[in-house]
Order: sequence, then C-alpha cells, then structure tokens
Amino acid sequence: MVLGLGNPLMADEGIGVHLIERLAPCAEQWPDVDFIDAGTGGMSVLYLIEGRQQALFIDCAFMGQEPGTIRRFTPDEVRSTKVLAHQSLHDADLLRILSLAEELGQCPERVVIFGIEPQVVEPRQGLSAVLLEQTEHYLAEILSELTA
Amino acid sequence: MAKTVNVNVHHVTRVEGHGNIVVNATDGQIEKVEWQVPEAPRFFEAMVRGRSYEDIQTIVSRICGICSITHSLASTKAVENAMGITVSEQADKVRILMHYSEQLQSHVLHVGYLVSPDLFGLPSVVPLAAKAPEVVMAVIRLHRLANEWSDLIAGRTTHPVTLKPGGMTKFPTEKELRQLQERLKNSVADLKAVAEAVLSVADKIPDFTRETEYVSLKQDNPPTYTFYHGDITSTDYDGTVAINDWKTVANEYVSDQSTAKWTKWHRSSYAVGALARYNNNAELLSPLAKDVAQMLGLTKGNCNPYMNNVAQIVECVHVVETSIGMIDELLTTGLKPETVKVSPKAGKASGCVEAPRGILFHEYEFDRKGNCVGADICIPTNQNHASIQDDFEKLVPEILDEGEDAIRLKMEMLVRSYDPCISCSTHMLDVQFVR
Repeated sequence: MVLGLGNPLMADEGIGVHLIERLAPCAEQWPDVDFIDAGTGGMSVLYLIEGRQQALFIDCAFMGQEPGTIRRFTPDEVRSTKVLAHQSLHDADLLRILSLAEELGQCPERVVIFGIEPQVVEPRQGLSAVLLEQTEHYLAEILSELTA
Repeated sequence: MAKTVNVNVHHVTRVEGHGNIVVNATDGQIEKVEWQVPEAPRFFEAMVRGRSYEDIQTIVSRICGICSITHSLASTKAVENAMGITVSEQADKVRILMHYSEQLQSHVLHVGYLVSPDLFGLPSVVPLAAKAPEVVMAVIRLHRLANEWSDLIAGRTTHPVTLKPGGMTKFPTEKELRQLQERLKNSVADLKAVAEAVLSVADKIPDFTRETEYVSLKQDNPPTYTFYHGDITSTDYDGTVAINDWKTVANEYVSDQSTAKWTKWHRSSYAVGALARYNNNAELLSPLAKDVAQMLGLTKGNCNPYMNNVAQIVECVHVVETSIGMIDELLTTGLKPETVKVSPKAGKASGCVEAPRGILFHEYEFDRKGNCVGADICIPTNQNHASIQDDFEKLVPEILDEGEDAIRLKMEMLVRSYDPCISCSTHMLDVQFVR
C-alpha cells in the first residue's frame, strides 16, 4: 500500500495527498497496491496498515534539508524530534504510531517513508513552486520503489 | 510540611487544543488557581455571513475534525427550523445513526488513546500496547468500526457529504445496513473488554466530588436517552427550555483568563457531556449500557467529573445497542428513495444536538433568498470552562499536600476528563537522522 499523509490546506504540508492524487490513475498498473489518501487521519493509520505486507508512506518532513528534497528512509533510520508529538489526536506522530503498531505485531514487514522537505507550511491551498516543479521526480522515485 | 506549590502547565497534553493550568501556593495559602484558554478565536460566525443556507453545514463542519457530524447536524437542524422545513422519518433515523457513529468514534478515541494512559500510569498509549495489547487492539477495532460506520452513512469519516437541509442526499442500501448491523453485534465483545479494562484500574479514578449543575438535552416524546431531539434541561431544573431559548441557559460571558466565552445558568458554572446526559437521562439507557454503568459503579447523581469518561464508555455501549435496533426498524419499513426540494425563506432559529463532549447550540438568521445574515454558535467546551475552574478551586485545597507532581497529574486528568476540544492543527513529521 502507498499512503499519502498531510493537510492540503497547509501548502506543502499536503504533499503526500497531492502525490496520491497523481498516483491514483496508476492504480490499474499496480493491481496489488492500494493508493490511499490518509489525509490527517492520525491514529487511523493503525488500522489502515493492519494485515498489509508492505507500506510506503509519503509525507512532508522537516529533515534539515534543502526545500524540495525527497529522502527515502525507514523508521529505524530516524528519531522523531517533534516537540508536541502525541499530545492529542490532532497532533499524531507517524513514527510513534508505527512503533505502537510494531508493539502490537500489526506493522507491515516492510515500511518505507518518503519524506519531502517543505518550503512553505502555512494556511493556504497549493504547493510551493519548488515542490511543484519536482512533482514528476517525486513520482518517479516512488514508482521505482514499487518495482524494487 | 510547608505547602508551597507552583504548578504551571503550559498547554495540557492529550486534549484537543491549548489550555494552561496555573497553581501558586505559599505556606499552604493558595494565591492562584487558574484554568486558562489562550486559543485564538476562529470567527466561523463571520465566515458564514452572506453564504447560502445550502453551504452552512459544509462550512461549520470544519469547526472540528472530531465532531464534524455534530456541527453539521446542529446547523442543518437550525436551517430547517428557520425555514420551516420538515424531514422524513427515514431521513431522521438515518441521521441519528450517523450521529451515533460519531459518538462511538469520539468516545473510543478519547478514552482509548488519551485517557487510558492516565489510568494505567503511563505517559501515552504507546507503552500501553506492551502492557495491555488486547485492550489496545479492541480500541483500534472499535475506532475502525466507528470510522467505517461514518463512511457508510455520512459518505466520509469526517465532514459529512450526505446531509442537506430537508433530508439526505444518499441512503445506505439494505445490504449495507445488514452488514453494519452484523459488525455492530460483533463489536459488543470489544466494548465489554474495554469496560472490563477500565474496571481493573477503577481505583485510579480520583475520588473527588463537587455538587454540579449538569445540562443536556432531554426528550420526553418518546422518552429517549437523546443526543439529537428534545429540549434543554438540567439537574437543577425540573422542566425543559425550548432550543430557540438556549441563550437563557448559556448566559455567555467573557472571562479575563480565557479567549473562549464562559457560561453559567443556576450556579457559577454548569457542566455538559456524557456525565450530564447520564445524570439527566440514566433510566433511558439501553439494557446492556445499564449493566455496564452498574459494573463500573456509575449511578445517577454522580458529581465526580472524572467519571465523565466512565459515562462515555456506557454511552458507547448504548449507541451500539440502540443502533442494532434502529437498523432492524429501518429494514422492516424499507428505505425508499426521496427527492428533497427546499424553497428558501427568511427566518431565524436555532438547532441543537449533543456533541460527544456536550450540548451544542447553533443559531442562524436568513434573508428571503436564504442567505445567512447572522450566526451564533456555542460549543460544549466553552460551556465546561467555568466548571473546570470551579472544580480546580475545590480540588486544589483537598490535594495541596500531595506534592506538585500529583497535583499536576490530577489537574491534567481533570481537564482531560471533560474531553475538551479546543482547536485544530497540522500533522507534519519532524525528524533527525540517526543513521
């Protein structure tokens, strides 16, 4: 499964959802893969990944990189530095949700995250030009992961 | 022991939005005990002005990502009341079914993910998975059921698209209703498991009582444990107040320590939510919900705010059991297609439903073209702020010698027990590479 996370009303924060919209037309080429707009569902990820063999997440991530950078990583390659993490249902932290799923034996065998460094996170619709220009590159990276 | 205490919790965790707790005491003298709400106002009442009656529920649904169905229903009812629009019996039942899905979803999320760590003595639900995995799995299954129940009836998990003034744009099929009913029946075991888990740690629920006025809906015809129909009542008031007169109940006022308005009726404050509904309507619960209330030691007249979360579990059982029966009724009569045609007209009225966290009022005025010329919304969390403050003022002197950590925890737990829903935010990742 490929899950796009984010809030399209917060500019680049919605990159995961934008990319899922672009990937959805590819669904026929990938009959074994579900492309899911998980939005800001937070804890819903817990049941969305249940019983899946592989999960690929796409999300906006502050990684200290140049805006627009896409990085592929696995949960064990990073640690969350999110200050408000797990304080409320509005502020869920994907990495903690994945460790909760792991604890429960519900985590897919293979989990890959594509983090995309935002240029702008503020209340507005649409991606920044930096991310928009690289959309095809992001899609190619993600689709190549599916063939790996 | 010198009781000098300084507690300053800047943004209580595991609640929706931002609230602060401040306690200062020197040598046993309490100088300051405050529940502060520093959230910025969001001006939804201004946003809907000039908008068509058809757009109102779509806009105000966005007030909350957790109780979006509730806001949609309250506003739709207000529109219908203002324009004299009636709704068919089947649409009415399906709306209630939709509303119940949100009650289950919100209560399960709150008790399962946010409150349970307190009861098990853990910082969050993550370590709880190691301590009580079966319970966390039951919570996740219930969460999934509630979300997919909303998907079916409301068209989406959050922000319903099947609701419109005068009725519904889409009804579930009979096959879908049968499937839902089967899943609801199967969920009873998970609900019992959650109730038993709470029973196993019931001694962790603080023993605190403050005589409180509890305000909720009350429906006499037919007598119902209501979330949707009825008028306003309170434990201090024998009769009921019509929905259009809600301002004589809420009596909103401005408090210096809060950006949110506060409310009061017969006392300095009143409380709303599951415990308020229970205290006004307990005898009307479904049979299994009554059993669970008894098992968990909840009795009518309970004035321990921490027991609101127990009442939420009782209500989860009630909405599931009641929905199983409602689906039988819908399947017996059969769902018939209906076309809804509404002619807008000038009018002003209110709509009221029970949000998971308490009674919710929406009021709108429309011109003859159906455009909104005024709005007033009073949410349940606003109505609980003064009650939280009153609880703090009674609680802190009682626990002043327990130490700052215990005081802080009990005060945070108290805020969480009200299930406050103060605002919304975003969800991005924030990471540092370690490999």
